[in-house]
Amino acid sequence: MNISDNKVLVANRGEIAIRIVQACRKLGLDFACVHTAEDAHSGHVRLARELGGQGSLYRISSYHDANELMVVADESGATAIHPGYGFFAEDYRFARRVMQRNRGLIFIGPSWRVIRELGDKINTKRLARSLGVPTVPGSDRPIYDEMEAEALAASLFDFQERQGIKKPLVLIKASAGGGGMGIEEVQDIDLFRSVYRRVRNYAARQFKDEGVLIEQRIRDFNHLEVQILADRNAKNIVHFGTRNCSIQSTGLQKRVEIAPGFDPGTITYKFDAQKVLDDITTHSLALARKVKYDSVGTWEWIVTRDGHPYLMEVNTRIQVENGVSAAIARVKGQSGIDLIAEQIRTGLGDPLGYAQDDISFEGMGIEYRIIAEDPDNGFTPWVGRIEEFAWPGTDKEPWLSLHTHVPTDQPYDIPTEFDPNLALGIIWGQDIKQARERGLEFLNNLKLDGQTSSGQRMKTNVEFLKGKTPAILQF
Amino acid sequence: MLDISALLEEVKASPYVESSVKTPHSGVVSFNDDLKPGAALFGPQGLYKEKPGTLLANLERERVSKSINALEKGELVAVNTELAGRFVQAGTEIMRVRHFLSRKEVLDIILKEALHLFRAPEKAKYYFVPAVDLKVKNTGPKSVSVHDGMDLFIISRMKRETPLRYSGPDGVIYAVYFSVHQNLDAGEPLIGICPPSQVNQIEEVAMRVQTEWPDE
Repeated sequence: MNISDNKVLVANRGEIAIRIVQACRKLGLDFACVHTAEDAHSGHVRLARELGGQGSLYRISSYHDANELMVVADESGATAIHPGYGFFAEDYRFARRVMQRNRGLIFIGPSWRVIRELGDKINTKRLARSLGVPTVPGSDRPIYDEMEAEALAASLFDFQERQGIKKPLVLIKASAGGGGMGIEEVQDIDLFRSVYRRVRNYAARQFKDEGVLIEQRIRDFNHLEVQILADRNAKNIVHFGTRNCSIQSTGLQKRVEIAPGFDPGTITYKFDAQKVLDDITTHSLALARKVKYDSVGTWEWIVTRDGHPYLMEVNTRIQVENGVSAAIARVKGQSGIDLIAEQIRTGLGDPLGYAQDDISFEGMGIEYRIIAEDPDNGFTPWVGRIEEFAWPGTDKEPWLSLHTHVPTDQPYDIPTEFDPNLALGIIWGQDIKQARERGLEFLNNLKLDGQTSSGQRMKTNVEFLKGKTPAILQF
Repeated sequence: MLDISALLEEVKASPYVESSVKTPHSGVVSFNDDLKPGAALFGPQGLYKEKPGTLLANLERERVSKSINALEKGELVAVNTELAGRFVQAGTEIMRVRHFLSRKEVLDIILKEALHLFRAPEKAKYYFVPAVDLKVKNTGPKSVSVHDGMDLFIISRMKRETPLRYSGPDGVIYAVYFSVHQNLDAGEPLIGICPPSQVNQIEEVAMRVQTEWPDE
């Protein structure tokens, strides 16, 4: 079967659904999209209607209902499912079911065994340790018992004090969580129980699993990532460089991503930054080879101020920030890489067609996450009606690509069911100076306004992004 | 002062509610062929409402069949028979039914006028704080006394949770108008509070509905 004979069901919403539809079009593939009643006016619905007609759209009750996605796949004649990110993207049971049902479908993502192995943060930690890959000190299994959790936290406080850390911190993470959700830090063992109970209750409500991880909270670090891509037979595994995702909200949600992860040619670091980038790339590839990784994925690292990297977790899916890596990547000297299209193409069985030596990097990329939120008030999500959204002056610039599901020609009510992410603005510059200048030009020209039903003015993070731009990649 | 008689007369003047039955999710729909417009429908029955209401339709997805049953005693008004055996999307109207208001519904309507309603300040999901939640589950909402400034709810919106304090008169929670994981619009009532001074009046409402509204 030629890959162009496939039809892809886009089992997601918003920006990623748009990009999957665009990638399908690029590859000459047919597609079907789903949406909930709340999302009827979302950009992905408009695009699907425009490119595929009303027949390509299916209204469902929830993006979380696997049965419903399957029946829509059958009704639409889809042969493959792209889960995007979030929802079922890292659910190995879903991936397994997609493949093993009577009318089997292709899951565009890693094989279910790989998701099971690496999707579990704790197992990833064990695997990494077996390969000598450094990981954050702490538990390597979920903890359900309060006394056990407290004892482990006490030992981590002791450990840090012995290391001479003046303000030791312990992190409590919902083990079934992800994307920065269900994470809190504790400064004093006497406060541990109350914070533990809060995280445990949150985890039970949001993830239906009370298990938590207890880890040393490493402060003063940079958050780096390595982008991996492999074809279906896992024989050709390559990396698409590093990203720095250290600019985050107070809730540990990423707001700006920069590729590559450090810029040792321009900025002076207290450690050998190039060696760190090389080390985390080598370690990530080693782990990918060990588990026979067979799709796109991201290896997430923290790097301390003295240049020590620790593997945090592996995200077995396409990430929001894939575009910033693609912006600086060249394959056989050609730009215009689309990692989502690569994921779909290889996921449907096409060989990768190039090796690591064919991949090079040029310039610097910045990705801004434009979000309706109030950075001055703990990044509280803002909900209301967007009345103006445009980026005049930079809309024709070849160095900018903007991905959004928010319509620009009519008002848009932000649904409350999902994060109020509005757009991704990806900037390319020849070097850090040009990337920063272009980034600020884009943000300064951005027009984004709206109001709540009670007439309160829209809150956005644009000023926060502007404020962070001059210091990107400095550590 | 609440005019209970006037409220009851108002409800009596229009004692039926017509509503549409929509598919809760996508799937292939098949109707109960025994039902024709005008057929009588029964809601859940039994001591614990363990016996489901009249079977209206089945909705199949991925070889899992879900029955759609009548939730109230009433009458079938119309059936969209052209959808039989076809794939339907979530939220598609498949039938129209109407039912005579039950005593409980009448009581709810009148209580919403009598109680102090504490409303959702914004569109979100709402939960009681764990201590109150436990008490509501174990001994019922009327066992919970509330006072102004009390931490009573957790607002969950866009994966974020923030506490919400109760503001209003002291009293007991007489009615709860939300359920777990339900999305509420701003302004929808969360709970109905009965201040101590209104207990007699509320009890009178309950008694009048009990005696003046016909049994189901």
